[in-house]
Amino acid sequence: MLRQWSVQASGEPEPEPAGEELWEQEMERLCSSQEPVRVLPYAMVDKRFIRLREPEGVKTSCWQQWRRRQQTAGRRLGEAGALYEIGLGPRLGASGPTCCSPQASSARNPSPTSPSFASCLLLNLLTLLLTTASSCCPLTWLRPPDRGPALNFSECLAHGGNSAPRAHLNPAFNNTYLFYGAYRAGPESSSIYSIRLAYLLSPLACLLLCFCGILRMVKGLPQKMFLGQDYRSPLSAKVFSSWDFCIQGQEAATIKKHEISNEFKVELEEGRHLLMVQHQTRAQRACHLLTYLRVNILIGLLVVGAISAIFWATKYSQDNKEVPVLFLLLQYLPPGVHRPGQLSGSLLFVFLVQLENYPPNTEVNLTLIWAVSYLLCFGRNKTSCESYGYNACDYQCWENSVGVELYKLSIFNFLLTVAFTFLVSLPRRLLVERFSGRFWAWLDREEFLLPKNVLDIVEGQTVTWMGLFYCPLLPLLNSIFVFLTFYIKKYTLLRNSRASPRPFRASSSIFFFQLVLILGLLLAAVPLGYVVSSIRSSWDCGLFTNYSAPWQVVPELVALRLPPPSQRILHYLGSHAFSFPLLILLSLVLTVCVSQSQASARAIRGLRKQLVWQVQEKWHLVDDLSRLISEPGSGDSLGPESPHSRGSRPRSFCPGFPCPGSPGPRAPRPEPSLEDPAGLCGVRVPVRSCRFPSGSEL
Amino acid sequence: MGGSGSRLSKELLVEYQDLTFLTKQEILLAHRRFCELLPQEHRSVEESLQARVSLEQILSLPELKANPFKERICRVFSTSPTRDSLSFEDFLDLLSVFSDTATPDIKSHYAFRIFDFDDDGTLNREDLSQLVNCLTGEGEDTRLSASEMKQLIDNVSNGAGLGWAGPGSRREGLGFGLKLSLSQILEESDIDRDGTINLSEFQHVISRSPDFASSFKIVL
Repeated sequence: MLRQWSVQASGEPEPEPAGEELWEQEMERLCSSQEPVRVLPYAMVDKRFIRLREPEGVKTSCWQQWRRRQQTAGRRLGEAGALYEIGLGPRLGASGPTCCSPQASSARNPSPTSPSFASCLLLNLLTLLLTTASSCCPLTWLRPPDRGPALNFSECLAHGGNSAPRAHLNPAFNNTYLFYGAYRAGPESSSIYSIRLAYLLSPLACLLLCFCGILRMVKGLPQKMFLGQDYRSPLSAKVFSSWDFCIQGQEAATIKKHEISNEFKVELEEGRHLLMVQHQTRAQRACHLLTYLRVNILIGLLVVGAISAIFWATKYSQDNKEVPVLFLLLQYLPPGVHRPGQLSGSLLFVFLVQLENYPPNTEVNLTLIWAVSYLLCFGRNKTSCESYGYNACDYQCWENSVGVELYKLSIFNFLLTVAFTFLVSLPRRLLVERFSGRFWAWLDREEFLLPKNVLDIVEGQTVTWMGLFYCPLLPLLNSIFVFLTFYIKKYTLLRNSRASPRPFRASSSIFFFQLVLILGLLLAAVPLGYVVSSIRSSWDCGLFTNYSAPWQVVPELVALRLPPPSQRILHYLGSHAFSFPLLILLSLVLTVCVSQSQASARAIRGLRKQLVWQVQEKWHLVDDLSRLISEPGSGDSLGPESPHSRGSRPRSFCPGFPCPGSPGPRAPRPEPSLEDPAGLCGVRVPVRSCRFPSGSEL
Repeated sequence: MGGSGSRLSKELLVEYQDLTFLTKQEILLAHRRFCELLPQEHRSVEESLQARVSLEQILSLPELKANPFKERICRVFSTSPTRDSLSFEDFLDLLSVFSDTATPDIKSHYAFRIFDFDDDGTLNREDLSQLVNCLTGEGEDTRLSASEMKQLIDNVSNGAGLGWAGPGSRREGLGFGLKLSLSQILEESDIDRDGTINLSEFQHVISRSPDFASSFKIVL
């Protein structure tokens, strides 16, 4: 029957008898197995033929069909749910969720910074909501009393203070909720809502909320850190499974190709770097260490120099307030010094880090660390009013001044971003496109430096966090700025920039961005804690005029409102007797976490060794098999599971391709293919002996 | 030519459901899309089952247009002697393998055939080079350089002929990234060290990659 089919189909000469026999055996095996025909990798024609030869046929019953439909529906529901969870549900459009894998969807949204912008915006909005709900709205409801008596100027002169006018602050804004000074409340009592407590605790609660929010967003350390520097992820699986067949548009395909290419290049470059490091001689390593030290000392000096410059600039601007002409300029001198300092600093950091020949990811991450630590040192100075030599008499409401500075910094940063985009990048792009000459070709478009752009976000967010106590509505301003900055940066990225030639791994950089954001948050919380607990508020404005430090509201309220047992409990919680056991407990927890991670690392090393042993076992088996098979007379005992000879099959079966499990190409080998039955479904059995790869090579 | 005239018979639908992984709606949709590729006067049911559509027309489908492997896919599923046209049943086979209910085994089998550019039954170095070039695209900035390609794939002279030689000139001779190149694709996948990847080795590698099945999917 098989012969008839083949003759009818294509009129070919009869196949060889041995191949025919093998094919018959294969057919019998297929017919006797209980697999449904659809799982066989043959063309429809062949599958129909096989089905007809089955005695009863494995026809799917209605019950099986129904089950299949339910499973399909369940799987599709699960996939759609997964897509909605990663936020892509509403954007899928006409193709529907079932067609797209998450890979295809992410290929349409390739920006690595868009999650950063989204998370920042969310944090700002949450902060704003909390502040408004706890302080502004109750304040508006409860209608606080009028301003208290102003500080007597004669007292002030008696203190020998400099009676410079407070002309830098526009009186119109002074009394709005934008600033600390506008918040007023009567003396504490036991029944009404304590605005002081709400105002005090809301920045702390916001910082805690942001901290938890960022922790939740952090997806975990990149795998590389656990698996060690010399671990390389299996590239072969990546090569074979990286293309997403769901991709339909040409642009999405181009983006995906870029993504794949970048990934390969990053992997290969890291591998090359690793090899280079491993082959360094001792002298080279010493040289490398010296360069490293030199570069880091240089960077440290740069940071110190920049901070002193800003300090000098601020002091100069404060000392020279009475010169009206330069007044406006001096107002913006501190941010004006800070910003170019940061800009040149970032570029210099990138250059210096490249000198050290770090692999690409480390470069990006190090640049982020250095620039943010520079920024934070600057920021810390701002909130400590003694460092500026603010005299309490000069500034009847110094908190407002600090708030003003922070608003100015925020606005200045945003204006600078806008100005840079439209006054530098855009003309640069237009000029480079219009003119062609060696200079313009050298200038080229602006390179999109990811660290610098991510830093802008972190900087703005840190300033907002520092200002939560002095300018409660700063998150609102920052939200608007973040929103607009996203679209401006997107415009710059798409129109005015060219891609950075240095590939980097976006996933670990995003993790690092989140880490740096947490660092910024913690370091913004430190001056806030210091101010709240130790600095005396100004006499004239704000909620804490009668307290030695804002934190003193809490003990007062505790004494006023809570029953004595609760007061005792709270006293105990705040005392040393509680903090020492708490510290000990936290140390224990930390020890447990550290030892757990070390144990995991050991387990991973053990598993890697096991993997090597398993591969060696495979080699043993292959070697044994080759010995067994090459012995004469043993070939018959191993029945082939699948036919292997191309010529033995009629043309209608899978034309152009050998059957599944066939051995490889017709390479010039001494033994003919018939004596080499692929008993193990396609494993080529080399007759020569094989040497096992050693553990270090894997 | 009307709506009822171009519907497949019930028996045929049941048979197709048995022979493929597609549901009834998917088969009907596939038939409709296939008929759209035929000229107007040949769109009846009988003719659509016998007709063959040229490769260029299939490649114009939006689901395949942007795929770098589109020619290979069509050639693999074509049952014509010259492998340049697809019948309706070939088209159904294609959609069945790429549907989301197909087993990972059959997907990996056909993936192997698609990646085997020279149709010799194994993935050798040239196949892998062509595969990587398809993945990275033709642009100057995305294409891997020759040395990078070598680093990624190259293992042939060491792995194919002589087994693993000791450290020596052979390794240094092939360049800087050689030790790494020995640890790349062929080393990871080629179990029997013959310099090529055959079907079972390929399926073994693919089984370690969990998102293969979800990305090897085409749905109309």
